Amino acid sequence: MIKYMRLEWKKLDTKNVLAEVWIYLIIMMLLPTFFIMKVLPVFGQSYASAIELNSFIQLGYVLFGASLINHVFIEQYKNKTMALSFSYPVSRKTLFTSKILFIAVAVFIVSIISYLLSGLTTYVLNLFFSFIEGELTASHLTSYISKILIGSMLNSIICFVPLFLFGILKRAVVPTIVCSLASMQLPNFSSFIHVQPETIIIVLTVLGVISIGASIMTAEKVGEI
Amino acid sequence: MNYIIKTTGLSKRAKDKALASDINLDVYKGEIYGLLGKNGAGKTTIMKMLTGMTIPTSGEIALFGKSFNEQSKTLLRRVGSLIEYPTFYEHLTAMDNLRLHCEYLGYYDEQGMKQALDLVQLSGIEKKKVKEFSLGMKQRLGLARAIVAKPELIILDEPTNGLDPIGIKDIRDLILVLNKQYGITFVLSSHILGEMEQVVNRIGVIENGRLIQQVALEDIRKQHTDYIELLTSDPKKTVYLLESELGIVNMKLIQGDRIRIYDLKHTQQQISRMLISHNIELEEIQKRNSSLEDYFYKLIHGGGRHD
Repeated sequence: MIKYMRLEWKKLDTKNVLAEVWIYLIIMMLLPTFFIMKVLPVFGQSYASAIELNSFIQLGYVLFGASLINHVFIEQYKNKTMALSFSYPVSRKTLFTSKILFIAVAVFIVSIISYLLSGLTTYVLNLFFSFIEGELTASHLTSYISKILIGSMLNSIICFVPLFLFGILKRAVVPTIVCSLASMQLPNFSSFIHVQPETIIIVLTVLGVISIGASIMTAEKVGEI
Repeated sequence: MNYIIKTTGLSKRAKDKALASDINLDVYKGEIYGLLGKNGAGKTTIMKMLTGMTIPTSGEIALFGKSFNEQSKTLLRRVGSLIEYPTFYEHLTAMDNLRLHCEYLGYYDEQGMKQALDLVQLSGIEKKKVKEFSLGMKQRLGLARAIVAKPELIILDEPTNGLDPIGIKDIRDLILVLNKQYGITFVLSSHILGEMEQVVNRIGVIENGRLIQQVALEDIRKQHTDYIELLTSDPKKTVYLLESELGIVNMKLIQGDRIRIYDLKHTQQQISRMLISHNIELEEIQKRNSSLEDYFYKLIHGGGRHD
């Protein structure tokens, strides 16, 4: 499986994908500071609030997942390299599983790097501009580490919400991106629909799991060229 | 019989349309098998099913004597193919595309990859990105990809597409060399029938998604050998004279004024002399050869080309 995941990476225009990752990392690195200083100073009341804010910001990697769905599924269907992959001695289920695992691992790793970079950058900038009140404690760090792991894992599942319907069935880029944007923004609008943001994240996670399952289980039927 | 491919009742439907129906196809070890049919007849669909690109709606495929389906795709390690337009990861180089392909097949011989590029006359472009390739170069690279892992069976859909006449000859020679020297079995499709005629041993004729006939080219040649075609001012009298004077019965009147004589016991000179002696004005007399194209056309249209 690892071999097939590595081959998925080789199929990509790696320079473009890495450039995209760098742009994400730079934006996400500065976004918590920008939000606290310019948009939502209330999240600067404590490190706990800032950590909470950063968790919602890092949901942005759901969009990176959509971009990878586009490269790994939709583009390959459109330029017919998917048909070429079907002619290899690998079953469709294995092929789709390797593609999904590749996206999940990529989103997970990039999310972890981003959490670390954004946390470190926010801390360092706060030393100069003091926009977060209070002191950073060991319990804050412990909480942040668990947020890193849980948040990265959630990103790597929620990013699959559009996979089955828009990535494989419709093979449409714009609906995939729009669906991802909606997924990453929905928790921020939880107060408008009177639902806890955690509930929305749980629902999105379940949808992501269903989408992954449907994509693999129906690979032989709906995955047809 | 040593079958490399045997299909039983193979069918494919898509959007309520039958793309291939009840295909019972046999390809023997070491032969070059040609699939003939008009555009949209179903040749590519059959080839896609044989290479795992598309899953049959019903029916069975046996490759190398073993049942071939999604669970037994490892059999494809022994198959090379080029189906429809040659597709590649365009941002990658020719060599990277070959490496990627070979990794899926578990083949890691870099020298073998270079040899495959040499065989299709693409050496020296290993580092060039595929997006810079012409259609002809892509076709050659597609062929290199099909042969690189030294498969036992190669399935090529319109392999000479986009190639210039020299390129077409090169590929034809390559197919023949690989078949003769290495015993590789080929399944080809082509719309250039004259081209196929020079390469294949047997043909399967596809019409409206159905395999209507499988026949050895040698048998077609035996059945549809040479004929003498003549054009006269009085065809009816000519037919009467040919029958009464020379005893020729195996002939056919086509287009109203042309007569085809399949009974070749008399030479052109003898026929000409006899007709002239009976004051028949002979406008044209020629010995012709019934080509695969004629056979193919008759089979699909159910009659003579000019009838």
